[in-house]
Amino acid sequence: MIDALLSRQRTDARRQARSVPAGPMAAVLAVALLVALTAAVSWGSTSIAPGEVWGVVGRRLSGEAPRPGTDDLIVWQLRVPRALLAALVGAGLGLVGTAMQALVRNPLADPYFLGISNGASLGAVAAIVLGVGTGGALGLGLSGAAFAGALATFALVWTVARRRGGFAPLRLVLAGVAIGQFLSGFTSYLVLQAGDEQQTQSVLFWLMGSLSGASWQLLAVPAVAVPATLVWLQARARALNALLMGDETAAGLGVDAARLRRELFTATSLLTGVLVAVSGAIAFVALMVPHACRLVVGGDHRRLLPVSALFGALLLVVVDIVCRTAMDTQELPVGVVTSLIGAPALLYLLDRRLGSGS
Amino acid sequence: MAVEELGEQKLRIDVEDLHIAYDGRTVVAGAHLIAAEGEITGLVGPNGSGKSSLLRTVYRHLKPVGGRVLLDGTDLRELSPVQAARRVAALPQERGGDFELTVREVVAMGRTPYKRAFAAEDATDRDVVSKALADVGMADHTGRRFTELSGGERQRVLLARAFAQQTDVLVLDEPTNHLDIRHQVELLALLRAQRRTTLVSLHDLNAAASVCDRLHVLHEGNVVASGPPREVLIPALLAEVFGVHAAVVEHPLTGDPLIAFDHRAPADGPVLPRSGPTTARVGS
Repeated sequence: MIDALLSRQRTDARRQARSVPAGPMAAVLAVALLVALTAAVSWGSTSIAPGEVWGVVGRRLSGEAPRPGTDDLIVWQLRVPRALLAALVGAGLGLVGTAMQALVRNPLADPYFLGISNGASLGAVAAIVLGVGTGGALGLGLSGAAFAGALATFALVWTVARRRGGFAPLRLVLAGVAIGQFLSGFTSYLVLQAGDEQQTQSVLFWLMGSLSGASWQLLAVPAVAVPATLVWLQARARALNALLMGDETAAGLGVDAARLRRELFTATSLLTGVLVAVSGAIAFVALMVPHACRLVVGGDHRRLLPVSALFGALLLVVVDIVCRTAMDTQELPVGVVTSLIGAPALLYLLDRRLGSGS
Repeated sequence: MAVEELGEQKLRIDVEDLHIAYDGRTVVAGAHLIAAEGEITGLVGPNGSGKSSLLRTVYRHLKPVGGRVLLDGTDLRELSPVQAARRVAALPQERGGDFELTVREVVAMGRTPYKRAFAAEDATDRDVVSKALADVGMADHTGRRFTELSGGERQRVLLARAFAQQTDVLVLDEPTNHLDIRHQVELLALLRAQRRTTLVSLHDLNAAASVCDRLHVLHEGNVVASGPPREVLIPALLAEVFGVHAAVVEHPLTGDPLIAFDHRAPADGPVLPRSGPTTARVGS
């Protein structure tokens, strides 16, 4: 073990300890998230002082009678649900991305990989064009259709990709991408069939992702699904780590990789369905968030899962502020901004890593 | 397999009449093999002879279609996956994806069978991981990214992960594959230095002859010879199973059997002239 002796003399020279420990990182992200949420509620066409924001929220939460006026309406009925929806969807996308990347053992996977987003979009677009979800642009009927689309796609990909009781990562990705493309072809066809300009408009808005349909009602399902998924995944964090190394390694560590992959596929598909149902198909967040977090806190899922959820939440709250305030006349779809900042950010992170590392 | 030939030693792994099929194709048909306590038991055989499949059933990645694997007399199938993982650690031929895991995190995976959901790493885990890293000479590399390591370093880290699993039995599938010669020697020395009951498949017959206490030769899904390397690795078997022409001599440094292959003559082909100029090569 000459090598070992030599390296002992070289000692710390080559050590690359992770720069940021996960605990403080999570604390910083949590504080930043609170600040961003406050800003999201405070800023807009009508500015409301942060003190007044918390005043309204405090009165609502303590059960006091709300003070009549527009502040209460704007804060409690419009902006708080929207900010919370952004946080929940962002956290959910962070989790879906992290889990999906472990599921197919590819750090560049996202929900589009398995076709689920495409299926949900098709469901939503079909509802708009066929006039099912006519109660408001992003009514609950529309969410139902999107979720149904996600479930149907999940069942289809499952059936096609399943072999010998398990899913080989590559087979799963190929089935997902092929079926996803097939479904988006259908979606494009439906868009062309859209009756009037307003239908086309709401379809496009949906396809690019939007949080403008936020309401307390719409929050209910993601408010349960996102934390539940976080806990469920966190309980399997070590097994997810084992899965990164390979199915045989996992088996040797007492982890049933085939079963875990079935469960992960089901859980990520359900959560993706829930997220797309309330916010449309928001690009890039599920891909970029875990990737960025991995570069900062490392690949161990015990740290990566909560940090990805927090960073995803923070990112989407901030992006939604930009979407609401960047243009005076209209809102930008969230997906436009996530793509515009996501792609360069990802390239920067990759470049930095390749430059310093291998 | 005759157990009495083990004498005082305890039988740790007993593979009985094992049948393994993969994609409807039989890859192991009625294999018997044993591994005795504290010994290094080697599995050798040509490509496709069923070595990896056999090892995969021992660490429970594959389910046999017939026969059984006994661990200290207990059928493997009676153990839960976690119970089995506390008794058998595996080093498969997998490289894993690039997920920013550090050396320490990879070794800490060995603690998986001992941890409940949500349980944090405790002092025992940290000690076991540190000791495993020290045992393979990687204690100074804990914070490095696993994927940045050389092939030899990587194998040592994976061996440390298996050590951190604190099992009595270690199963390794071609651990010296793709390593240069110094790292091969180093890894085999590490295997020799530890006292676990070890079942290892090896491509290199000379490595097997020098490191293993007992060998099982697999040929077309069957164990065709078992015993100490000296008794098993004989020219007739090498010709029959591996299709090579070779002489077995004594290693000048270690006294182990040393197989000298005749690279000019396949076992059943014509023997080419041994000396003198061969046909002159034109060009180049």
